[in-house]
Amino acid sequence: MCGIVGLHLKNPALEPELGRLFVPMLEAMTSRGPDSAGLATYDAEGMHVIKDVGLPRDICAAHDIAARSGHQAVGHTRMATESAVTSDHAHPFTPLADLALVHNGSFSNHASIRRTLARQGIACTTDNDSEVAARFIARELTEGADLEDAMRSVLKEFDGFFTLLVTSGTQFAVLRDSFACKPAVIAETADYVAMASEYHALAELPGIGDARIVEPEPERVYAWSR
Amino acid sequence: MVALNGSSVQELMKVDLASTSVRELNAELHAPTARRYEVHNPRGAEAIAVGLRHAIEVEIHGPAGYYCAGMNMLADVVVHGSVGTGVAENMMSGSVRVRGDASQSAGATGHGGLLVVEGSASMRCGISMKGIDIVVGGDVGPMSAFMAQAGRLVVCGDAGDGLGDSIYEARLYVRGRVGSPGADCVEKEMRDEHVAELGQLLADAGLPHDPGEFRRFGSARRLYHFAAHNSAAY
Repeated sequence: MCGIVGLHLKNPALEPELGRLFVPMLEAMTSRGPDSAGLATYDAEGMHVIKDVGLPRDICAAHDIAARSGHQAVGHTRMATESAVTSDHAHPFTPLADLALVHNGSFSNHASIRRTLARQGIACTTDNDSEVAARFIARELTEGADLEDAMRSVLKEFDGFFTLLVTSGTQFAVLRDSFACKPAVIAETADYVAMASEYHALAELPGIGDARIVEPEPERVYAWSR
Repeated sequence: MVALNGSSVQELMKVDLASTSVRELNAELHAPTARRYEVHNPRGAEAIAVGLRHAIEVEIHGPAGYYCAGMNMLADVVVHGSVGTGVAENMMSGSVRVRGDASQSAGATGHGGLLVVEGSASMRCGISMKGIDIVVGGDVGPMSAFMAQAGRLVVCGDAGDGLGDSIYEARLYVRGRVGSPGADCVEKEMRDEHVAELGQLLADAGLPHDPGEFRRFGSARRLYHFAAHNSAAY
């Protein structure tokens, strides 16, 4: 089990509040992933990544995440199922300077895709299955695909269970596998798009009572750009 | 079953989950000292009002998380908001009404009682239902009523792909479009008794639709009977 959260701000007036809004979202997912956590924030200077072992609350406090500003944040709380608990195995996986992937689920054919990527000179640095998906998407983007197309390629090539949230400097995209048994909920207002594994991670956001709440359908890419 | 002592039981208790834990709330609901409860500030918390065994009324004002009103027996629970995965799972009796939408597996494995979702329900609504009645005002997602054994599922909107896959003897009524029926699930004739029971379910749910607008789906009974000529395949 793992927890995923993401916040994509549409209203620039909220950008100074990014960290303050985001930290409660990540902390709410502690019960889904208490062993390690990671996050990426995006601002005018680019993407900033923090990954560490421990409780989300402690990691956010140690790095003063609540004080961060920016236009987008993505985070993950991990309950490891298939590889070690280290900061390197924590999500997000960030194979490009502005690309972050967080994953809830498990891929069953990641070893064969890992070998295919290796033959093309694309090496993974961990044995984590999610890193393979991140590097696969990075390859697609490097070869010219846009993020939505790259996510659709994941559906064709990867087998297993997944809810994915993938962000670039300008895009925010969610995808679930055909059985959609890993949870996801998306809330959208005029000010932001927020995504989480469970609703209660969104419960503190401003205007959530009037947000449009959607449970993403299986095999459909939901994407927003700025 | 413990009977409520009318004279020593207060009429209404209000519980604020901003200052009371779900565990404290559920402990009170398991040994109730009131007949009616109002729960405020649920903020999507999991397992609210789970395992109730008394004929009490519980109104939850706001969105509830996973497994809300799971295993309910006798109680009447209303959620003024949306609910997460597994609302009223394994309900035995009583009723659960959701005024918003429901996430996956609403009413899963339920044995009895009535679940009403006034909005839409997501995937696997009524999976493995065993006697519960479920009425959904909007749509249901793919794989709803998967392996449904008994009870009735009423869908006033559309049903997603794989409706009633591997169904046993539950009866499914759909007013809108069916993405595709699942394995061994077929459309069946609406006879007078089906119109009558559907009319009663819609009335119980407080929905105004004409039973004549619905189609009935059920088991073709090709899948779950052992056939001697297939014995070589086993």
